[in-house]
Amino acid sequence: MWESIKHYFSVFAFSAKLALQSELEYSSYLVCWLFMIPIQIFSGIYVLKVIMERIGTLNGWTFGQVAFLYGLGVFSHGFQDMFFIQTRHIEYYVIQGEFDRMLLRPMGVFFQFCIGTVNLCGIFDLVPGAIIFWYGCKEVGFRWTAENAFLIIVVIIGATLIQAAIYTITGSIAFWTKKSSVFVGVNLELFDKTTQWPMVIYPKWFIRFFSFLIPMGFVSFYPVCGLLGISSGIDMPIPIDLAIWTPLVGIIWFIGGKTFFNRGLRKKYESAGS
Amino acid sequence: MEQIVLDHVVKEYWVTKKKKGLRGALINLIHNEKVKVEAVKGISYTITKGEIVGYIGPNGAGKSTTIKMMSGIMTPTSGQIYINGMSPHDNRKKVVKDLGVVFGQRTQLYWDLRLGESFELLKRIYKVGDEQYESALKELTDVLDLAGFIDIPVRQLSLGQRMRGELAAAMIHSPDILFLDEPTIGLDIDVKHAIRNFILEINKRKDVTVILTSHDLDDVMKLCNRLIVINKGQVVEDGPLEDIVTRMANYRMINLELADPVTEIHSPMVEIVKAEGRKIWCKFDHHLYTAAEVIADIGKEVSIVDLSVKEPNIEDAVANIYHC
Repeated sequence: MWESIKHYFSVFAFSAKLALQSELEYSSYLVCWLFMIPIQIFSGIYVLKVIMERIGTLNGWTFGQVAFLYGLGVFSHGFQDMFFIQTRHIEYYVIQGEFDRMLLRPMGVFFQFCIGTVNLCGIFDLVPGAIIFWYGCKEVGFRWTAENAFLIIVVIIGATLIQAAIYTITGSIAFWTKKSSVFVGVNLELFDKTTQWPMVIYPKWFIRFFSFLIPMGFVSFYPVCGLLGISSGIDMPIPIDLAIWTPLVGIIWFIGGKTFFNRGLRKKYESAGS
Repeated sequence: MEQIVLDHVVKEYWVTKKKKGLRGALINLIHNEKVKVEAVKGISYTITKGEIVGYIGPNGAGKSTTIKMMSGIMTPTSGQIYINGMSPHDNRKKVVKDLGVVFGQRTQLYWDLRLGESFELLKRIYKVGDEQYESALKELTDVLDLAGFIDIPVRQLSLGQRMRGELAAAMIHSPDILFLDEPTIGLDIDVKHAIRNFILEINKRKDVTVILTSHDLDDVMKLCNRLIVINKGQVVEDGPLEDIVTRMANYRMINLELADPVTEIHSPMVEIVKAEGRKIWCKFDHHLYTAAEVIADIGKEVSIVDLSVKEPNIEDAVANIYHC
């Protein structure tokens, strides 16, 4: 077991280094994103600010709390972009027979698939995300105790895994249908609307749907409610407004995504060409 | 030792039959006809350690499909495959550890990385020890002459350089089986020679079992001691190369240049294949007559200016098999 972890880690570390290197080869496209992404992120929060100046609060949420949630949402989006962007392109891998090479190596295909890419554009999400999050922390008077810092880290990891899992599951449909890229746009849109705005603005059935069927609510809504002591207004037999649910849900969904991916690969993958 | 065993391996695909035109496209939405295509129809053979086997057949015969099933990329619809006693589908990770695979048509290397970096990543993936890696890399660099381009990104390599890189990458973990799917496609004669030498070298030195598919019959002639010919998903010939060639091209060609044009020769020993002015091409059964006897017999009726006798040719043999 230990041997195997060491082996996988050494491959991961080296391959991350190489992926980063090859990313830097194409540095000019990075420059475009350097302008695009921060504009997008800052204009998103600016729109919220303008709206909230008119109406005061958003169902009881102050702008500081909204900024805190927005920043956290952008953060996990950034990490997802950085380490799991390929989960959006499973269709391409299936059609082009790109899994052939991975199947020929004595390691898990899903592992090789996950470590194959590092997308530096993620950094351009992380920096504005950090600025907005820092502003939110200041506004709500967030206390950086060891416990809170730990919770923030596991929430970001969990939220990243949740998003990666959803892209993996929708992307893996391509094993059966050869097409799945339509979901990418839908996912991006849904994540924007459910993780960067407090979900209290939506009706209860909508929140429940995007919590218990599709776990969007655990990306930022419930953990922020937990961290800032706000009520989500969703009544459950066990308390749901807790930050710790996010990593648990993240791990479960990520394992589910991997299982679904492997099922498609084993049952339906057909390689391509001669 | 039987290293590779295929037992009644079948691979079927379902292909949707599309109707033509807009009307057809609309009909397809509601009802589409699925057609079963049998790419491989019950192939069986065994390969022993240290053999170099030429796996040949026309385009679409099922060669690549078989290679992909043997290397764990595809799953057979039915039948069994054992590589070193294990099924590549059920024990993929264990099986591929001892496998090197090269697809001439698509790269196994990492496009944006320097060739040497690909090797280093493979070293980690296959858990090759430092010493073993150094010695393997040195040997491969020598035999395949990689030194000049090991630091160049793969996407900038010429086809010949890349193919040599592919072979090295497939051998860096010292596998005992090597699958080569058209490794010489599109290569110039020097690179072809280098690759052939490499294959012979690793087979001799390390007893690596090699399965080679190629449309270049020269490759097959120079390398393989055994030939498996498949056509339409079935094995049609399997045996030593010379046997197949002599059996399927069971004659020799004699090309004559004559003093005067003729259209027929009465000698019972030969059969005219082609006649063009003063040149004629005939074939004769070399098991019945020697070339000297044939020439002497023809010489009685026509005057020969020049002649040449051609060995049985693998291309003729293969063409015969394909057309069966």
